[in-house]
Amino acid sequence: MGVLDHVWLGVLAVFTAEPAFSIFGLPISITLVMVFSGFVGGIVVGATPGLGGPFAMAVSLPILISVFGFTPDALLPVLGFLVGIMKGSTIGGAVPAILFNTPGTPDSVLTTFDGYPMTRNGQSGKALRVAHFSSVTGDTFSDIVLITSAPFLAIMVERFLDFPEKAALIILSLAFISAVVGRSVWKGILGALLGLFFAYVGTGEDGYPRLSMGSEELGNGFPLVSAVVGVLILGEVFKSMEDMWREMRERSEITMIEEKGDNKLRLADVRRILPFVGLSAVIGTAIGALPGIGSVLAATLGYASGKKMYKGDKSFGEGVPEGVAATEAANSSVAGANLIPVLSLGIPGNVSAVFIILAAESIGGFNPGPTVFRVIPDQINPEMVIVFGLFTTMICANILNWTLGGIFMRATGVMVKVPKQRLLAVVLLLTPTAIYVQNTDMFAIYFTLFFGFIGYLMRKLDISVLPFVIAFILANRLEEAMRQAFSATGGNPWFLFDSPISIAFIALAVIVVVFFARNKKALG
Amino acid sequence: MQQDRWTLALAALFVLAAVLTLAVWIPNDIETGLIERFRREVMIGDALAPTGAAVGVLIAALALGATSWFRPDPFDDTPDRQSIAFLLRMAVVLVLGLVLMVFTGPVVVESINGLGGEIGTYRQLRDTVPYKYLGFAAGGFVLVFGAIRVVENRFSMAAAGVAIGAVVVLGFIYDVPFDNLLLPPNGDQ
Repeated sequence: MGVLDHVWLGVLAVFTAEPAFSIFGLPISITLVMVFSGFVGGIVVGATPGLGGPFAMAVSLPILISVFGFTPDALLPVLGFLVGIMKGSTIGGAVPAILFNTPGTPDSVLTTFDGYPMTRNGQSGKALRVAHFSSVTGDTFSDIVLITSAPFLAIMVERFLDFPEKAALIILSLAFISAVVGRSVWKGILGALLGLFFAYVGTGEDGYPRLSMGSEELGNGFPLVSAVVGVLILGEVFKSMEDMWREMRERSEITMIEEKGDNKLRLADVRRILPFVGLSAVIGTAIGALPGIGSVLAATLGYASGKKMYKGDKSFGEGVPEGVAATEAANSSVAGANLIPVLSLGIPGNVSAVFIILAAESIGGFNPGPTVFRVIPDQINPEMVIVFGLFTTMICANILNWTLGGIFMRATGVMVKVPKQRLLAVVLLLTPTAIYVQNTDMFAIYFTLFFGFIGYLMRKLDISVLPFVIAFILANRLEEAMRQAFSATGGNPWFLFDSPISIAFIALAVIVVVFFARNKKALG
Repeated sequence: MQQDRWTLALAALFVLAAVLTLAVWIPNDIETGLIERFRREVMIGDALAPTGAAVGVLIAALALGATSWFRPDPFDDTPDRQSIAFLLRMAVVLVLGLVLMVFTGPVVVESINGLGGEIGTYRQLRDTVPYKYLGFAAGGFVLVFGAIRVVENRFSMAAAGVAIGAVVVLGFIYDVPFDNLLLPPNGDQ
């Protein structure tokens, strides 16, 4: 079966899945319903300051797995829901930034620069429409790049990389993520190495689970979901609660500023912002394709580039639509491109990708990486069907975003009034509950709280959590690749330097670390 | 320069942890070596990956210490006494919440049995209303209400309402629609 057959099967898998209901006799598949639900939920969560897409993914995953089970049929509805959240939360984050000068997500900080002044000038409707248009355009561009490039990249990886090269590639990815995330390269590397070390506890090939200190609980290793959710979600909850505890003061009354004048998005507006959207979409996509570099940097670079390009009367920061467009197109175009390293290399580059991998690992039957694009003569590769189904759900989410996203987005302004400290307290119960129903073991909760404490400490000590989480996920794959490379080269201890490609990867890893260690302060 | 002292302390802590791991933990808690020979085949042992990670931690911690010594780069928001005060308050809430979650159900059931109720063990009742909700409700309420109390530094009816609402809604979401799901702590009782 060729690639095009798999594309068609992927599309069919989305549209002909078990119908949830019918509209005028037309069955609507459960996968489409899940994409829609995730999308709406994502907008609401993104519009709620203090929450975000990763939070929604973390708490919904156990519920989704409970509903759909551990069968291959569960993959597309669950992944579709996560894709919906990813897309929805991206546009939702702009709402409180524009309406109330309160960024819903970290990458929306720059949206406040021009979005809120537009609101003060009575142009909130136009600002939201500009943000929506720019965001959706950037996201769509990014998805097109993902869909067209990931399969080719994956085929190249499979053709040219053997075990030593794959091990070297994982080392390069971890080095790159550690070096570019956060302010200190060495702290990033420490975070990644700690992630590797924790992942090695209770695993191994020997009958005795290594580093388990004879404990039965440690002997099973730390559950992946406990480590990921603890560090990413609970660590953030603890840190945010401490910040609020320190700065608890009367909430200033939130008032809605009335719109005045023309608030529609006209063709002339689109013509005005399109060059800024285009430039930012390219910047965001390029940054998103590199593991570890988040949407905050994309938004910053998009805004800075737009500012240089802008020639209007009012300057950036005084409420110009081009400023909103440059930021929103850049941070939204990161989302799709972030999946390029996941699907072509099996390496998650950001938090959303981490949850896609977590879902795939929890359900089984789909291991994101270059092998999913392997063509097997006269056979169907079920993983390739899933990946093209995933692309189809992304296209469906984009269509929803173009058609209904703006309406939902403008309706979620009220979410900013939810008291954050009470919301986070609920998350504190919700997260362990979600972990428990998946693992049915109180130790999973204790481990999650332990990793939450580690996540809190890492944030307090200025150590990025992303290298830790990604290293934890990749640890066993790295060890497996090294074991196989060692065996395949006949026990050669220098297997990482056995081929020009792996030498190049290792050399690049060293160069990246040295470069950022020497220049990061200047770059920052 | 307090912030740099934190970085130096962090580096020193990691150096110490890495040395102890390499010298004590790994040799005593992994049964295969770095390289193993099995039926004339040479293979990587279980100790290699953690040893590599620990050596890496040692090198990175030394580099971090040296960098922060020679090129200080202060950062804001380091842990201080207030952080410890906050953590202690949260620890009280978390420990109390989890203790109530784990023990409320069994204690109530044992108390009823002790009073002559003869209703059976908690394990037999862990999927029976109302016993299956006791631990989750008590522990969950304390977790949510206590966390809000810590941050807002006052008791409020609104916080109690949020806590009750959270427990009811989560119980409904996770327990009512699914026969195969168990709320904490009923799965391992």
